[in-house]
Amino acid sequence: MGHVALRGVRIEVAGRPLLDAFDLDVLPGEFVAIVGANGVGKTTLLRAVAGFHPAAAGHVSLDGVELGTLPPHRRAQLVAALGADAEAPSGMTVREVAISGRFARHPWWDWTRGDDDVEAVVAALGRVDLAEKADRAFDTLSSGERQRAWIALALAQGARALLLDEPTSHLDARYALDVLDLLHGIAREGTTVVAVLHDLNEAAAFADRIAVLGEGRLLAYGAPALVLEPEILRRAYGVEFTRVEIEGQTRVFARSAKENGRLEGGRRNRDSGRI
Amino acid sequence: MLAIRLGGLGLSALGALVFGLFVGGSPVAPGDVAWVLLHPHATSDVATIVWTLRLPRVAIAAVVGAALAVAGFLLQGMLRNPLVDPFLTGVSAGAGAAIAIAVVLGVATALVPAIGFVAGLGTALLVAALARRGSGIDVERLILAGVSLSALFASVVALVLVRLSPGGAEEILSWLAGSLAGRGWNEVLWTSPYLIAGMGLALASVPSLNVLRLGPNVARGVGLDLARAQWMLLVAATLLTAAAVSLAGIVGFVGLIVPHLARRLFGTDARFALPASALIGVALVAVADAASRSIVPPQEIPLGVLLAFVGVPSFLYLYLRPRGTSRLWGT
Repeated sequence: MGHVALRGVRIEVAGRPLLDAFDLDVLPGEFVAIVGANGVGKTTLLRAVAGFHPAAAGHVSLDGVELGTLPPHRRAQLVAALGADAEAPSGMTVREVAISGRFARHPWWDWTRGDDDVEAVVAALGRVDLAEKADRAFDTLSSGERQRAWIALALAQGARALLLDEPTSHLDARYALDVLDLLHGIAREGTTVVAVLHDLNEAAAFADRIAVLGEGRLLAYGAPALVLEPEILRRAYGVEFTRVEIEGQTRVFARSAKENGRLEGGRRNRDSGRI
Repeated sequence: MLAIRLGGLGLSALGALVFGLFVGGSPVAPGDVAWVLLHPHATSDVATIVWTLRLPRVAIAAVVGAALAVAGFLLQGMLRNPLVDPFLTGVSAGAGAAIAIAVVLGVATALVPAIGFVAGLGTALLVAALARRGSGIDVERLILAGVSLSALFASVVALVLVRLSPGGAEEILSWLAGSLAGRGWNEVLWTSPYLIAGMGLALASVPSLNVLRLGPNVARGVGLDLARAQWMLLVAATLLTAAAVSLAGIVGFVGLIVPHLARRLFGTDARFALPASALIGVALVAVADAASRSIVPPQEIPLGVLLAFVGVPSFLYLYLRPRGTSRLWGT
């Protein structure tokens, strides 16, 4: 369970169309990365799936349940969404942050917390490796730990799909790998994961499929090796890319105009045999 | 642990209320007060003082303290701003202006609290209408609208005071400075539906307040209907504040500072901090009112003035003292 389906989705911001005729299927237990240039609509697309930004047209559904018309409470039982701009709450422990994920599991006016809530939070904190820091103040955690605590909140929610906007944006290489590895594992355990990522190589290393957004639509969608083509990426980002295979893995590198000039020059020199 | 502390706080609040019954302008021996309380059907001067003067007054102190403290807690949580007080929504300014005008027009004194209540609600409604965006409320617009309308109505009061004979000015000033003098069971009775509704909404908002600690975006992510939560919090805070203002005039400080104390003592979890706010509010206003009656009897020091004189320095001490010099508050 956790099949996210978008059909003919049109997304507008302030009346201006951002994406149109958008179709996407994310299968249960899949880790899909959404990539594309700044402003192309990655975050807005994610917000549309999360139900924060209603699609102007088309259908967004999870396991056949239309998400757009679902009340927030019901929607949160199906989909957990983590934005990129979550600020660190002060005066809350890691456990309190995680238990907030249980909000939708009770009527909105219900104060009580049951055994299932406690179990879900213990499991979630254990899953993200923060069990020992459960009683620490959230704002004393490192950036990497904070990101994992947010993921624990989303896991405690018990949703079928997890949506994340740039989960690695503030993290150094080690913590970024940590978080991506965690998300990959969560997907393998059956929760569908959709994440907006900026680093194409992170996407290539961890995602099952990559959705490339550009020119107001879905430019390409598929396994990293199929999608990360220099031509597709040039259309998405407006710069040239070099693609290499390292130990069977696809890696791509953007090239600046200056670099292009140097490469062109180098090629000329080589051609003329002077290198 | 927190539940035990909350129980202790409840007992302190109860103690403050009992204390309020034993002190007052007229000298009555504590033993006589106790006797009257234990013999509700006895008729004597002391019985009259206790049952018709002190008891309703202590009850109003409790209600006003709890209402303002909870209203402040709700608005601070909703706006995620510790500088917010319950008068932000213009309730007090609107009520003050309406009361000033009512006094000028010679409206019967008994009607003044009701006029204040309606005007307070009306002003908050106007502020909310100005702050509306989509189905929810824009926090910045709410603050701007509240501050602007409050300033406007404060000028109305100032204008009325300048143009008025000294007698009328006194009545208006007693409202502006906050006082429980001359209030009785009647006022408690007619404000109680609004107080009960406000408190009910406040209690039902506790889980929403808890997830709002994470910011509006995360709160929506975990399933909060943000617009509904905002409206509920605003309506609850407005009902409580308008009822408190119509009972006691403008009693400042309680709604701003008590929520801070509650969060200091009980943490930010609204399941504990909201009841704690209510209980601290009860205790604080009960003690302050007892003091206002007994410092220079038979005159009364305005409640709002007393609270500000005693409360603000202690609060500043609590917050501005060098860190680590006292463990009194468990920090």
